[in-house]
Amino acid sequence: MIPAAFEYFAPKSLDDALRLVERHGDEAKLLAGGQSLIPLMKLRLSVPRYVVDIGRIRSLRSIREEGGWLVIGALSTHHDVESSEMVRLMAPLLAETASEIGDVQVRNRGTIGGSLSHSDPAADYPAAMLALDAQIVAASSSGTRTIHASEFFLDLMTTQLRPGEILTEVRIPRLPERSGSAYRKLHQPASGFALAGAAVRVSLDEVGKIASAAIGITGVAVRPFRASGAEAMLAGKKPSPKLLADASEKVADGVEPLADIHASAAYRRAAASVYARRALEAALARAEGEKG
Amino acid sequence: MKIEGRHTVPAPQETVWQRLNDPSVLERSLPGVERLEPDGPDRYRASIKYKVGAVSGSFSGSVELSEKNPPHSMRLKTSARGVPGFVTGEGKLELVPKGAETEVVYSGELQLGGLLAAIGSRMVESAAKKSIEDFFKSLASS
Amino acid sequence: MATATKLIGKPIKRKEDPRLVQGIAHYVDDLTLPGMLHLGIVRSPYAHARVRSVDVSKALAAPGVVAVLTAEDVQGAIAPIPCAAQIPDMKPAPRPVLATNEVRFVGEGVAAVVAADRYALRDAMDLVEVDYEPLPAVVDLEKALRKDSPRVHDGLADNAAYHWALEGGDVKKAFKQADRVVKLRMLNQRLIPVAMEPRAVLAQYDRGDNRLTLWSSSQIPHILRTQIAAMLNFPEYGVYVIVPEVGGGFGSKLNVYPEEALACHLAIKLEKPVKWNEGRRENFLSTIHGRGESCDMELAVKRDGTILGMRARVLADLGAYYQLLTPLIPTLTGLMICGCYRIQNLSVEITGVLTNKMATDAYRGAGRPEATYFVERAMDAVAAELKIDPAELRRKNFPKPKDFPYATATGLIYDTANYQGALELALKKSGYKALRRQQAALRKKGRLLGIGLSSYVEICALGPSSAMPAGGWESATIRIEPTGRVRVLTGSSPHGQGEETSFSQIAADMLGVGLDDVIIVHGDTSAVPYGIGTFGSRTLAVGGTAIYRCCEKLRDKLLKIAGHLMQEDPAKLVLRAKQIVSKRDPKKSISFAETVGAAYTAKTLPPGVEPGLEATHFYEPSNFTFPFGTHVAVVEVDRETGEVKLVKYVAVDDCGNLINPLLVEGQVQGGIVQSIGQAMLEEAVYDDQGQLLTGELMDYAIPRAADVPKLETFHTVTPTPVNPMGVKGVGEAGTIGATPALVNAVVDALAPFGVRHLDMPLKRERVWKAIHQAPSESAGRPRRSK
Repeated sequence: MIPAAFEYFAPKSLDDALRLVERHGDEAKLLAGGQSLIPLMKLRLSVPRYVVDIGRIRSLRSIREEGGWLVIGALSTHHDVESSEMVRLMAPLLAETASEIGDVQVRNRGTIGGSLSHSDPAADYPAAMLALDAQIVAASSSGTRTIHASEFFLDLMTTQLRPGEILTEVRIPRLPERSGSAYRKLHQPASGFALAGAAVRVSLDEVGKIASAAIGITGVAVRPFRASGAEAMLAGKKPSPKLLADASEKVADGVEPLADIHASAAYRRAAASVYARRALEAALARAEGEKG
Repeated sequence: MKIEGRHTVPAPQETVWQRLNDPSVLERSLPGVERLEPDGPDRYRASIKYKVGAVSGSFSGSVELSEKNPPHSMRLKTSARGVPGFVTGEGKLELVPKGAETEVVYSGELQLGGLLAAIGSRMVESAAKKSIEDFFKSLASS
Repeated sequence: MATATKLIGKPIKRKEDPRLVQGIAHYVDDLTLPGMLHLGIVRSPYAHARVRSVDVSKALAAPGVVAVLTAEDVQGAIAPIPCAAQIPDMKPAPRPVLATNEVRFVGEGVAAVVAADRYALRDAMDLVEVDYEPLPAVVDLEKALRKDSPRVHDGLADNAAYHWALEGGDVKKAFKQADRVVKLRMLNQRLIPVAMEPRAVLAQYDRGDNRLTLWSSSQIPHILRTQIAAMLNFPEYGVYVIVPEVGGGFGSKLNVYPEEALACHLAIKLEKPVKWNEGRRENFLSTIHGRGESCDMELAVKRDGTILGMRARVLADLGAYYQLLTPLIPTLTGLMICGCYRIQNLSVEITGVLTNKMATDAYRGAGRPEATYFVERAMDAVAAELKIDPAELRRKNFPKPKDFPYATATGLIYDTANYQGALELALKKSGYKALRRQQAALRKKGRLLGIGLSSYVEICALGPSSAMPAGGWESATIRIEPTGRVRVLTGSSPHGQGEETSFSQIAADMLGVGLDDVIIVHGDTSAVPYGIGTFGSRTLAVGGTAIYRCCEKLRDKLLKIAGHLMQEDPAKLVLRAKQIVSKRDPKKSISFAETVGAAYTAKTLPPGVEPGLEATHFYEPSNFTFPFGTHVAVVEVDRETGEVKLVKYVAVDDCGNLINPLLVEGQVQGGIVQSIGQAMLEEAVYDDQGQLLTGELMDYAIPRAADVPKLETFHTVTPTPVNPMGVKGVGEAGTIGATPALVNAVVDALAPFGVRHLDMPLKRERVWKAIHQAPSESAGRPRRSK
């Protein structure tokens, strides 16, 4: 378990880091928490020539409020996110999702920016990013751009990020009033990754109907996705067990589920429905509990 | 594992057939293939650099066409070996004319070995499917 | 027992733990020697292939590389891996230390690279170029036995390594008399042992003394010494095997491996210390696997539940080559197949099957978990078919306590048992009747509660030498040192079980000293007498008895010396609390220290008594021991996803007398957890080309603390007459008793869907499919969705 030789950089500022990734482009990998990259390198499934360790760029590890947005720096660890009062208040879904990632050791090292950049199809965060309509901010030497979560995840471990870009922060909009959210996940028993994970946000109107619902699904397909068909079924309706069950049935419609030794495509599809319904039930209960 | 599917290429059957038999088109279209060198009739040596997200590696391999029935069908066998193991794909390609377009129907077996089988199967299968998609997209634009 | 018991029977905390939890214990990989080189093995990515060529030139030219060996280089210098098991008409399948011209499983070594450091080594290993010509792989057992199957080894008539059969009573008649024949086909899947510490080896050669020292993470230091000497044709007196701290074995280190021989060979050749340590992935590929047996079982039954006879046909997946005991393990399944039931008419046929996979061998339980699983699943199938409560069916077929010693139709003599006693206690402790009521009530609400029983008997204290391939005795040498401290040298090789504590308890009680006056030395072949090692739940019952007998010899000598000093009849003396006291007059005593001193100064010894205080005993057991028990598992199945939640677990085990209840508890709990792994999670999955798909802990799931509820453990105590302490062994009980209880519980939960059997592991999807593909549900409310 020894990686192939590589050149290591540990820039102390974002500008230095950006210069390095611009210079080395495709041949450089960013090291943020290392929970995916280091094992891949040790197995020599990843053989980058340059490793740019951004762990010393302190400014990237922060959680703050900015103009009504919750802003989470890329180097915030999963533990930072799950234990942050501000996150629990402004985006409890994210805190709950973070608490479901890996194990304590992984949560203490792994970072939100690293996870999103790596974009494992079974990672937990992407489902919440989608359900929360998050914005992902990428910096390069030519400036920054903001990518909506729904456009960020392109394909298997492939995102909108271009060589030379660094994901610097994630911005979460304020939730509508009378909102509730939940993340429910079927764990792959060996790795703890999601075989099917559903992150749900529902918002109620004054009469208790569902004003809007957002459902992010991970683990099921090569990339995370929004269950827009199910969301449409829910919008404007009075919640009922039948409605939730019917909508949940649809969450994986139109996607081609992954299949491996842990779960067939059919089982992933079925588990996605069950876990989406359970997440919806929990989210609704929380929304109904909100005084708004 | 089984790999099958169909893909429509916006070109007539004869053109698609020619492209499939043109090493320079194959070199351009086969994902990750950097160089394709003849190695006997309908056989090529390939050097491959592969990258999906953080996963990357160099492989050496081969591409072999056989059981040719122009312009209808052929067998395509590709193999790649590298430090993390090997991938071989073997299957039948059928070219079905659909007006001005051609539907390519493929079915075959993908076999992974070594570390790729042990660790990467979930990813590699998805990556292989994506590669096939990319191949046909590229073939369409050749 | 002759001496007053102070420590035996007490839950004393492990003496081993302070050094382990402080991280100051030494494992092989902690050892570093000056000039040490590092060994790595280049392994085949193919399950079956011809090796056309191995080009080592680039690797040899790489910086830091000292040597690269292929099969050619070691031909004639290193013999193949020894196999101690011999079964009549067994086909040969010896494992070369490096593949010669064919590789036969993924992970088989084709080249050995030695370099100055691990980094250079790792880089160089990628430079060894092997040209393989892939050959068809043999994976599935049934297919392997077909005439048209490719062969694992060229030239063999077929892939059946052997056929082993056993018949007792009158099977034909039993089946003729049966009201019903219940048939079940079951799979006991292939497992990976996953010891926490992978294997590690360090070899050093001293040319001046012609001395070869091998440190290895092993369960059998002496057998390893003998086999290494034989494999390398090196004088055994020059081989020193040292087993330092070992982080678990579960049978996977009860073996001799290529890396041990290669490191020794290279250390001699290069005259430099050579270290090899295994990564987890290598461990999965090339350290033995366990289980891998399928069984077609038929039980001939009367309507009232009486089992008249049994037929079992077992296929055992041996892998490509034999390791030390590979062919033997399935025969243990055959011997124990009738379980704890009066089944006097039976026939068992076992076919060992060669496949292009890593060898299977002893894995915690080794043959007995398979037997127990097969018979206990079949018993539940009988109960379901005859609509008899599973507890009642078991009760009905147990031999009674008065029937012991009980001769089985398989030729064993069960020492002693009260099977029903353990069953009743388990039923009582689990609240079995209330559980059944609760189950019925929940079923009406559509909830799937399952209750599973397993009554087991196992064969332990391996074993009388007549029944063991390489001897079944154990040795002890005890020295009472001049200062009165006691050094116990044991041939056993504990590797996590805690016998430094239980052995100390025995020696301290027997010699009337304190726990801390005793040190247990094991694993160093130059220090301890020849021994057999630690496996087969034998360490306490056989190794401990050797210590007990040895203590008796020393105690007698001490009393003789004391009697001489005290002018008292030694028969009237007793040893306790560092005093030798007259039974007639308790005021008359002499100190232990003074007596020990007298033995060494040797000025006033009784006539005929030698100076010094040292004794050796080689203990040969007269029989195996047969611990038993009943486990009860309660599960709830999530009908929507097939997830199984273990709600309650009650274990009643009878391992005879308990020397240290805390250690027993640890063994039982750990074993049950390993069973949860087998029942619910674990399987070594090979694809149809022989690729190991569960190649890492990312894909091979083992149970974690969160998967395990509180395990309630109880004991009945039926001391064995086989040894003086009445102890039987408990190291494997959990993996033997628990697996069928868990599976029986899940199948019981699924009874409303007409599910009769499910193969392990009971992964969620498998359970989900059983529910969702069931033709009809005979009870419970309609499904919620679809």
